[in-house]
Amino acid sequence: MTTSTVPVDLAAARMEQGIKTYGSGGAEVRALDSINVAFEKGQFTALMGPSGSGKSTLLHCIAGLDTLTSGRVFVGATELNTLSDKDLTLLRRKKVGFVFQAFNLIPTLTARENILLPLLIAGDDHDTAWFDQVVGILGLGDRLTHRPSELSGGQQQRVAAARALVARPEIIFADEPSGNLDSKSAAELLGFLRRAVREFGQTIVMVTHDPVAASYADHVVFLEDGHTVGELNDPTADSVIDRMKQFGG
Amino acid sequence: MIRTALKTIFAHKLRLALTAMSVVLGVGFIAGTFIFTDTIDNTFGDLFEDVFAGQDVIVQGETEFDVGFAGPPPMPAEVLDIVEAVPGVEAAEGSVGGFAVIYDNDGEAIVPTGPPTLGGSWSDDDRLAGNVELREGRRSVGPNEVVIDAATADGNSLALGNVVQIQTPTGVNEYEIVGIVGFGESDNLAGATFAAFDLETAQALFDLEGQLSTIVVLAEDGVSPDLLRSNIAQALPEGVEAVTAADEAEAQSEALSDSLGFLRTALLVFALVAVFVATFIIQNTFRIIVRQRQRELALMRAVGATPSQVVWMVVIEAVMVGVFASIIGILFGFVVASGLTGAMSAAGFDLPSSTAPLAIRTIVIGLTVGIVVTVLSALLPAIRASKIPPVAALQDTEVTLRMSDRRRTLVGVVGLVFGGALMAAGLFVASFQIGPINELLAIGIGSLFVFLSVSLLSSLIVKPVARFLGWPLPKLDHLTGTLATENTVRKPRRTATTASALMIGLALVAFFFILGDSIKASAGSAIEEGLRADYVVSVDGFSGGFSPSLGEHLAEEPEISDVTFLRFGFWDREGSDEFLMAVDTETIDETIFLDVQTGSVAALTDGGVLVFDTIADEEGWILGDTVAMGLAATGLQQVEIVGTFAESNVVQANFLVGEKFYSENFSGFGTDLDFVLAVKAADGVAPDAARAVVENAAAEYANVTVRDQVEYRQSQEDQVNTILIMFNALLGLAVIIAVFGITNTLALSVFERTREIGLLRAVGMSRRQIRRMVRWEAIIVAIIGSLLGIVVGLVFGVAVTGALSSQGINVLSIPAVQIIGLVLFGAFAGLIAAILPARKASRLNILEAISYE
Repeated sequence: MTTSTVPVDLAAARMEQGIKTYGSGGAEVRALDSINVAFEKGQFTALMGPSGSGKSTLLHCIAGLDTLTSGRVFVGATELNTLSDKDLTLLRRKKVGFVFQAFNLIPTLTARENILLPLLIAGDDHDTAWFDQVVGILGLGDRLTHRPSELSGGQQQRVAAARALVARPEIIFADEPSGNLDSKSAAELLGFLRRAVREFGQTIVMVTHDPVAASYADHVVFLEDGHTVGELNDPTADSVIDRMKQFGG
Repeated sequence: MIRTALKTIFAHKLRLALTAMSVVLGVGFIAGTFIFTDTIDNTFGDLFEDVFAGQDVIVQGETEFDVGFAGPPPMPAEVLDIVEAVPGVEAAEGSVGGFAVIYDNDGEAIVPTGPPTLGGSWSDDDRLAGNVELREGRRSVGPNEVVIDAATADGNSLALGNVVQIQTPTGVNEYEIVGIVGFGESDNLAGATFAAFDLETAQALFDLEGQLSTIVVLAEDGVSPDLLRSNIAQALPEGVEAVTAADEAEAQSEALSDSLGFLRTALLVFALVAVFVATFIIQNTFRIIVRQRQRELALMRAVGATPSQVVWMVVIEAVMVGVFASIIGILFGFVVASGLTGAMSAAGFDLPSSTAPLAIRTIVIGLTVGIVVTVLSALLPAIRASKIPPVAALQDTEVTLRMSDRRRTLVGVVGLVFGGALMAAGLFVASFQIGPINELLAIGIGSLFVFLSVSLLSSLIVKPVARFLGWPLPKLDHLTGTLATENTVRKPRRTATTASALMIGLALVAFFFILGDSIKASAGSAIEEGLRADYVVSVDGFSGGFSPSLGEHLAEEPEISDVTFLRFGFWDREGSDEFLMAVDTETIDETIFLDVQTGSVAALTDGGVLVFDTIADEEGWILGDTVAMGLAATGLQQVEIVGTFAESNVVQANFLVGEKFYSENFSGFGTDLDFVLAVKAADGVAPDAARAVVENAAAEYANVTVRDQVEYRQSQEDQVNTILIMFNALLGLAVIIAVFGITNTLALSVFERTREIGLLRAVGMSRRQIRRMVRWEAIIVAIIGSLLGIVVGLVFGVAVTGALSSQGINVLSIPAVQIIGLVLFGAFAGLIAAILPARKASRLNILEAISYE
């Protein structure tokens, strides 16, 4: 199955004819060039490509952090282009989860508060059983009262992952989540993300440039110069590296 | 180096603007004070030059002591003959001057606030009239005619041929207006009202028969004023002097400047408070800036900049901010000056308008203060910056370069004890003086130390206080409340300094509230005890007094048993102006309780002085000692102390004399007028009836108000309230600067937390929630500042009230409502301060924010 052929009702998020340009005139840079992409529900997709390939821009636009110059973006059945800033805020709060590469946590809040952040913002109660399960799987049970400065890098990223999961969003976007971690911590985190997809049916889209990280995903979508240039199902680190060589990336 | 500093400044225009703002306001206040008082100075300088236009020599009574407004004593009319006989005198003319209140068509007194109500005779000889010109009609002749100034005529629809009532020291009479005068271009004399009579009438009205106030002399052609002056002086009898008109103009103008000196000093004190608050803001800003640029500065060190070069970089930036802000501040001074003029006229002080001068002195002081304050404030952060190790450039962690808590506590406590001791010495040690430091300076410097120490120590209590204040927030507003509370305790020093800036202004406001309330409470209870009379007749506003004929008239009424007058007089007490009250010794026991400690009031009948017992204690005076009184009319007199008294709230003077002493030793403007009458109804007369009699008699003297005990007490409280409002308005600027400080700190903190805010927005926090978070933070900081201010204000208030207990302020009263109101005001100020930073925070571009380095 390829991302561009995902049926509309199976897509957790998709972009149609997405164009994003920066600057104007001679200095115009086309970060996304008429891109069509869809992410299937309950799947773990990795976006790969060299620097400047548009993978981060794609992530930002589809997650409602940035807007397309033209084209359409959907999260579930919701079209983002027509949403006001307020509705976009609500969308990020309720339907989308994020894990960034660094600076994922609010330093003044405890791990527990950071995990519950989207729910606290919404003023919603949380599902205690689900919270305990997520915290348990991530091995954060004894760190909940700690502030981010008292946690290791791996623990911080796991807290971020727990935050993304706890509100059960329709889709989680992860931007180089293991980029700043040592290989052991990275493996733990990525393994957990994959478990969330397999066991709980969570949809995750991850931007990465690391073939090993990409091998945890169900699919890999390759980008170059704002286009999708290929896909790979059930990747391994080696198959990803082979594929990347084809693109000279 | 300079280029680097310049680039940094222009890279952060908003930061520059906000930092500069506190300097602009502080310097503006100082410059405004100078411009304002210089304007008044200039106006009167020009005015006196015009008044003496065309005159060469002035002959007047000689006085050893120039006190109050009484002016020189009168001289015998025969002096005119002597002057006229001096060779070189072309013409000479004598005149008298005094108090005259003109009534309008409704019988209301026309009393300007500030300027006097002048009456006088005026010149028959146009050459000697100065700038007084008849604009309409003719000169007044005889006892029933008057000439008035054009402004009074125009402003009150008085015209030629109208009959007006005029009150003079000898009573109220009717006169026909036969002429209208102007003063050169002006319609009046610096706001004063003016009624002119012929010489004989004026002498009678001012009780100066056979006497003259001044003689104006015109020199023959070719005779210099100086030569003529010395010729005349040789011919004059003892007690009369001759001065050139130019010297006299200068002297009068200078005397007025001196009396403005007090106003200037008072305004400057408030301006310095504002500047002091500004230093907190600037220091805080530079500290935050240095912290935010830590890596940049470390990089400069890494590439070879010496520590002193880093210091210079920060200092040069401070100098440039200082110069820029001072220049704007001096210009802003014109706004402040016109604001002060506006406030004065709103309060009823009519100031003649004139162009505002910018003296070199104003520019120099403004620039100096602005630059010195900015550089001094930046110096400490700059030195800290220089200590940043080059390796910090490579590390992500921030380097802490602050004083340890232990050292802070030590320095803070030592400063607090020193400041407190200095204040206590100034307050409680009688005639405290060490070197140039007198009582007032000791209190000022002491309070400076107290403020600085409290600010230093407050960072230690910021955490618990903020957590306590923030405690109810999560219930109101869970997440934003928690985040706001935590943000305030993140950098306790920053929060403490920001709050301290607000503390200073609000501490002084709280202090004035407590002092004012205590004065009101003390005066209130003292009036209850001290006032035995049923009614008090007192003069309105600034007209100086009213004709004694009112008291004489009242004393004759059968419904009235006793009438006691109080008259006002200035004298010179060891070089400074002091005042006394002359009292009616026969009746005062019936109307005013003086709580006589030693001697008796009756002894005043034959002369001598009654002294307030606290003053007597301070000076070590006992019954039978003498007080050296410098008197304008009769020179230095050794006056025997015939008693001491302990209740001064009704007489409102520390020295009391009898009528005999007063009439022998006081003369001139206002001294022939009653200031207050204490009136007691006869036994068995219904209050309504008695009051009607008093009101009826007083109606004719339109510049007085009759009050019963309750109303009198209220009027005293109103006076205190007016002063309180004035002081608090002047402290307003210091509070505004502190609010800017909160804005500035918040803006810098928001800038620092860009990524955090971006993250919050990314995971779904709305703009509104972001704004709320910043607002709560501002409110917590502002309330901490208010609470600190109230605590310090309470301590100051209690201490000063305690120190003044010997001055009759013996009731300590703390106005709880106003104090609580201050906290609410503080919270509101925080809300205002948060508007801009909150908006800025909520409008951050999320993508840029989360990728912000």
